[in-house]
Amino acid sequence: MSSENSWRTSSRDAGTSRSARGFEEEALPHLDAIYRFALRLSRSPDLAEDLVQDTFLRAYTSWDQYATGTAAKSWLFTICRNVFLRKRERTRRHDEIVEANVRHAGPGSSPVNPVWSSVMGVDPEGEFFDSLVDDRIVQAIEELPEEYRTAVVLSDIEGLPYTEIAHLMEVPVGTVKSRLFRGRRQLQKVLYDYALEQGYVPARIGTGG
Amino acid sequence: MAMFDRLRGLFGQSTVDGSDDAGGAMMSCEEALRLVHEFLDGELEDSSADEVQQHFHMCQRCYPHLKLETAFREAVRRAASGQSAPLELRDRVTALLEEARMEG
Repeated sequence: MSSENSWRTSSRDAGTSRSARGFEEEALPHLDAIYRFALRLSRSPDLAEDLVQDTFLRAYTSWDQYATGTAAKSWLFTICRNVFLRKRERTRRHDEIVEANVRHAGPGSSPVNPVWSSVMGVDPEGEFFDSLVDDRIVQAIEELPEEYRTAVVLSDIEGLPYTEIAHLMEVPVGTVKSRLFRGRRQLQKVLYDYALEQGYVPARIGTGG
Repeated sequence: MAMFDRLRGLFGQSTVDGSDDAGGAMMSCEEALRLVHEFLDGELEDSSADEVQQHFHMCQRCYPHLKLETAFREAVRRAASGQSAPLELRDRVTALLEEARMEG
């Protein structure tokens, strides 16, 4: 919640209520992006629709506190994620435990990406990525732990700068970099394994499986 | 032995070539690979970005890694950036906001 409030400016005119028209003009253009983000977070179209409605309603009611000209999109992402995390807290289930385990067994920090080594000599430029169907990629994104998923979605799909992602997730920029690094590596590994299984990329010769 | 020479050509030669162009030592492979994500994310200052770009341009060993990371990002973006909110949802959000405005 503090991150929602931190998008305010200190110089705003207290008590000046901006029009609903202004809200619609600034917020509604981001509806598609918020919906996509909500889909990736909740992994369900129904839950995503609820999440989007809650996000816009909440954003509308705190519209007075939002500083015009700052990143409206990031502000909406922040609210969306906070609403999601709060809901999840109430319905914490098995899948979060799985996520925790995945995170624990996450990739190392070696500069050499294991996928680079695997494709060397067979598809060094990663052309197999072009063969992957969209649904499989989306599924792989949704399998990432939430912290990685949010960072990857906001950076790779929505193109937000590190500083905005850090602000939104309430972590230092270094943590964003590390989440992106690990998230992307994990995603690449899953997609590579799938491509291998589907024959989009030949197995490396001489690795013995 | 021929294989070794070939590998050395691929791995080492570019560093020598690069240092001539740059008028100084070219960024190491390790450094360029460490910065590849920040480079592709547009998070490096111009001077560092130029150095990274130059390295990938000159180094035959690292270049495919840059291509692979680019192919990966393009695939992710292609797969997940096209989805739009359903029209009914847009209508519902608009109605919700209308309702909130009437109330408040």
